[in-house]
Amino acid sequence: MHEGELDPVIHAQARLRVMAALSTLDDGDQVTFPRLQEILGMTAGNLSAHLRKLEDAGYVDLTKKFSGRMPTTLVALSRRGRHAFEEYTAAVRALLDPPK
Amino acid sequence: MTNDLTNDERPPATPADSMRLIREQRAAAGRRLFPSQLYFLVPWGLAWLIGFGLFFLRYGPNDRTYLSMPGWLPLVALLGLLGVSMVISAVASARAYRHMAGPSALKGAMYGWAFFLGFLSLGVSLARVSDELPPNDQGLLWAAASVALVGALHMAGGAVWHDKSLFALGVWLSLVNVAGVIAGPGWHSLVIALAGGGGLLAFGAVLAVRRRTWLAEPV
Repeated sequence: MHEGELDPVIHAQARLRVMAALSTLDDGDQVTFPRLQEILGMTAGNLSAHLRKLEDAGYVDLTKKFSGRMPTTLVALSRRGRHAFEEYTAAVRALLDPPK
Repeated sequence: MTNDLTNDERPPATPADSMRLIREQRAAAGRRLFPSQLYFLVPWGLAWLIGFGLFFLRYGPNDRTYLSMPGWLPLVALLGLLGVSMVISAVASARAYRHMAGPSALKGAMYGWAFFLGFLSLGVSLARVSDELPPNDQGLLWAAASVALVGALHMAGGAVWHDKSLFALGVWLSLVNVAGVIAGPGWHSLVIALAGGGGLLAFGAVLAVRRRTWLAEPV
């Protein structure tokens, strides 16, 4: 294993932060887009772009919901995304502390 | 978190940077998404400690008064402190769950309603009969029934969140309640102030330490 083999979708600073933040949610829980944006300190456009890439890879699920008349987007890791994040973390850990 | 990383498509420079980024981001998200349990334990612990403490000092065992104060003061202080605690808990939980959807938010909301409706139902029932009792037993009945409900709900909370220490807290509150009732009016106030209120505060301290460890965990 070397760094070149790390999942390129996750191995980018902004998307790694998105994945790490979403990984704190329990299975089935979703967070609203504005809340995620506030946690990450990203602009809406920037976060949208990264979420789109993660969605294309099947790593996040985006759900549109109406609370009253206001549309809200809910964000969560997909099962596949959680798995990919766990693999990524395990790979990074292996790089830091190579098995002897 | 530095802003120059925000737009960055580039990979973290080293695996150590990746790990640091994951750790910092998880801690930051955890702090914002999950309210500290201290909002739920500390106000209630203090309310019991001070409120029941005043009851003990004013209406001690065998009608003894350890500290002279107006007769209405303990009840008003206890109800006031419980009211403040309720507002703090409700605001903390609404702030946390307003931006979330899914099973956790639902569990939190149902648990909150269980407390509210449980106490409504208990209060209406006791109000109907407590006037028939001598004054000392009235106070004991209200206090003991309320602590019993709180103990049972904490045990149920342990079952909902698979949290053995929350369950243990419920067991502890139930047992000290029984001990206090057996000891009788006056003593019950002392037991609930120290072992009940103190127990809530001690448990809050344990959780605060556990939360700090959890937030520092990489994954």
